[in-house]
Amino acid sequence: MWRTNLKVALLGLAVIGFYTLIAHIIPQLESEVPEVLTLGADASPEALVEAGERMYNGAGACSACHGLGTRAPNLLTGGGGLGPIGSRCGERVAGTPCKDYLYESMTEPGAYVVAGFENIMPDMRRQLSIDQIWAVIAFLQAQGGEVTVTGADLAQDAAVSSGGSMPVAATPATASTDPQELLAANGCIGCHQLAGSGGAVGPSFDGIGGRMTPAQLRQSILDPGAEVAEGYDQFAGMMPATFGEQFTAAQLEAVVKFLAELR
Amino acid sequence: MIDALTLVQAAADTTGAYGSFPGIGARGAVWIAAQVHLMFAAFVLGVPMFAVITELIGIVAKDSKYDKLSKEFTRLLVFAYSATALWGGLLLFLLTTLYPRFWGHMARVFGPSMWLYAGLFFVESFTLYLYYYGWDRWKAGRAKWGHWALGLLLNVWGTIVMFIANGWLTYMMSPPSGVTAETLPEQVGLWNAIANATWMPINIHRLIANAVFGGSIVAAYAAYRFLSARTAEERAHYDWMGYVGNFIAISTFIVLPFAGYYLGREIYEFNQQMGITMMGGFMSWLWIVQAVLIGVLFLAANYYLWIGMARIPGAERFRPYTKWMLLLLVVCWIVWGTPHTMIASRAELAAMGGSHHPFLNILGVMSAKNTAVNLMILTTFLSFLMYRRANKRPTVAWAKSGSMIEGAMFALAAGVVVFYGIYGYFVEAIVRIGFSVYQVAAVLACIIGVTVIDLFVLRGAESRGEIRWGEMPERSQYALFVLAITFTWLMGLMGFARSGIRQHWHVWEVMRDTSAQAATPALGAAANMISLCVVIFLALVAFIFWLGGLAERAVQRPEPAGGA
Ligand code: HEC
Ligand code: HEC
Repeated sequence: MWRTNLKVALLGLAVIGFYTLIAHIIPQLESEVPEVLTLGADASPEALVEAGERMYNGAGACSACHGLGTRAPNLLTGGGGLGPIGSRCGERVAGTPCKDYLYESMTEPGAYVVAGFENIMPDMRRQLSIDQIWAVIAFLQAQGGEVTVTGADLAQDAAVSSGGSMPVAATPATASTDPQELLAANGCIGCHQLAGSGGAVGPSFDGIGGRMTPAQLRQSILDPGAEVAEGYDQFAGMMPATFGEQFTAAQLEAVVKFLAELR
Repeated sequence: MIDALTLVQAAADTTGAYGSFPGIGARGAVWIAAQVHLMFAAFVLGVPMFAVITELIGIVAKDSKYDKLSKEFTRLLVFAYSATALWGGLLLFLLTTLYPRFWGHMARVFGPSMWLYAGLFFVESFTLYLYYYGWDRWKAGRAKWGHWALGLLLNVWGTIVMFIANGWLTYMMSPPSGVTAETLPEQVGLWNAIANATWMPINIHRLIANAVFGGSIVAAYAAYRFLSARTAEERAHYDWMGYVGNFIAISTFIVLPFAGYYLGREIYEFNQQMGITMMGGFMSWLWIVQAVLIGVLFLAANYYLWIGMARIPGAERFRPYTKWMLLLLVVCWIVWGTPHTMIASRAELAAMGGSHHPFLNILGVMSAKNTAVNLMILTTFLSFLMYRRANKRPTVAWAKSGSMIEGAMFALAAGVVVFYGIYGYFVEAIVRIGFSVYQVAAVLACIIGVTVIDLFVLRGAESRGEIRWGEMPERSQYALFVLAITFTWLMGLMGFARSGIRQHWHVWEVMRDTSAQAATPALGAAANMISLCVVIFLALVAFIFWLGGLAERAVQRPEPAGGA
């Protein structure tokens, strides 16, 4: 019986070893995590292009579609006689300069769909941060065109984006003036609790109207740093200071009124 | 405020979003616990399916052989059940301690379903104990049907439990479209989260795969018992049991690719990029490994059938064909397992505009590959048919023309497969994808048509002699082991494919993996993990089989002991 056991065990190990071996002799491709860019406002175009190339070939996964057969237009070689993307990007949409066109291709791919292709390209903001996107654009411009992306583009967005989630548009997150919706759409609930749900990074909204006057509330939203809530010193500076620019006046007042009534 | 949310995430990270695990790391620990748990779960879901079917056959055909078989399946279940629960508990513990932030998110989205899951698990265990321990008590008349209903219930609970868990993991892959990084977990909505794009495809795929897996493990069990059997009677029983397990495994396996197509299509629909990552991106080589494994499966299954024909009187007349079938299988295997183009040089890659893409045109290869696979399925089906017909001499008047129609159906199906395989090279990719549907349809139609005709042709057929169960060379049993090991490994591989396409996301495009181990490993590293899981699982299964043998001896002993 022991002989049988041994034979079965050896057979098992041999089969498992065989499969493991096969998996080792094929090319080893890893799926990388997009690197966090540390380029600042003074980044040189070369540095941007280089970072963009890494992103394009690596974590951006652009090459999964672009450059393979007929699924997506080839960006690095001529597309229908127009030349590589750097030289054709300014011609695509009349009146749209290359840089804007490329930014739009990455963030709203459905806005202009190249003839003969399907609208399958994903909104890259879900995967890449805005500076990563700018770096890729610099790389694309370098394909037969002039690089006009500069470090300043990164700096401009640095205030509103990092780490690669959806960036804040300069426009309000929602056009609504319904305070509950505003709180949700602007991510307040991500940090503040309301009726028992929400994050615990900032003070709870429950009962906040009893603690603060409308004027204090307004100031806390417009200029969070002015007066830090008690017990939240270690979180000071976390609350974005950009709501003043994002909210319309009506939206701000709606939120203040709503919070002031939470007693 | 996205900025804000990233900051929140960062803040949460520093306050322990991830735990650490010595040696293999947190990811490795969860990987092993999840995979081994899943293998046991597949086993305890798959086996009850044919436990009830064989019990039913036993009741209807009044054949105690089937009843005994069914009970034997169930005995394995009792032990496997505790193993499933233990590994599930371990997984839960590891997730909560090593991935608390992620777990918190899942618990907030899925809370109530988790309670339901745990509750059902208890109910299921109870049903299983009643089913097993009540076997000899409720063995006749109406009570027997009641007992059978228990088995049916066992399947119902098991299926619900699996569907719930599938809701969680498919949510990680394909969260509903409105869900973004900013959505609060409470706003997702439980049903919305469960009924996501890949939920049903995974449910179906797993249901079938569990039957395949259960069959192959049961066959391995039978093989082991066959090899250690002491009497001719035991040998005959386990020979037969191995055959049944193998039959179930292979016949359900043949439908699995269709469930796979469905799943793949839903993934593409959900997100093109995810689909492309899976088929053409960093995972493209995974399918070569898969092809190697499936080739082994087909070869081992056919080999087992061919050896088995030696114990069937009358099978000699099919013997000459087997070498041609073997040749065909091997050729198809090679076609399928060969990458279309070897890795190109840097300059070639630059010209292609792709970086790490190993195939010039993956779809171009699909034509040849689909053709190869379909031919392999047809060949295996033919082996089964020969096996079935071996000891029978048809008596119906139209037997000859019936057989000819069957032959014509085979030829037609093979013709359709080959035709579209070649034609595929001359058309656009989009048209070519449609061709695989025709190929599959032809094969399915052939299988169904031939099976039906064959049932009628062999009606009242004369026997050329009984199958000499038990007179099976030992090497055939090793083929059954190879099958079980390969299925297990394949499951690990596909598990890696399914969860690996999420890449560095816990929940695709909703929650990033910000741990140090966020990068998805290459296949070599993944294969090491898979092999480790398979070894752990099979070692435990061997232990369970051994326990099963002990329990049986303990039951049988009293008789001889009483005589002494
Ligand atoms: C899922 C496949 C897919 C992925 C991944 C993808 N794209 Fe695209 N992309 C397309 C398709 C299809 C088009 C053409 C249709 C359109 O304009 O939306 C396109 C169009 C474009 C265009 C406009 C091309 C032109 O000729 O005007 C640019 C620029 C572009 N993509 C850049 C990128 C970059 C950079 C990445 C990686 C960060 C990327 N794409 C990833 C599919 C994809
Ligand atoms: C990144 C997390 C974050 C987001 C998003 C956020 N806040 Fe805050 N908020 C804080 C923190 C932390 C504090 C306390 C520290 C401080 O006062 O600066 C705070 C303080 C406040 C206060 C003062 C509370 C008190 O008790 O003094 C108000 C009012 C407030 N936030 C409203 C809002 C509103 C309205 C929004 C959405 C438009 C919002 N916050 C979004 C983190 C956040």
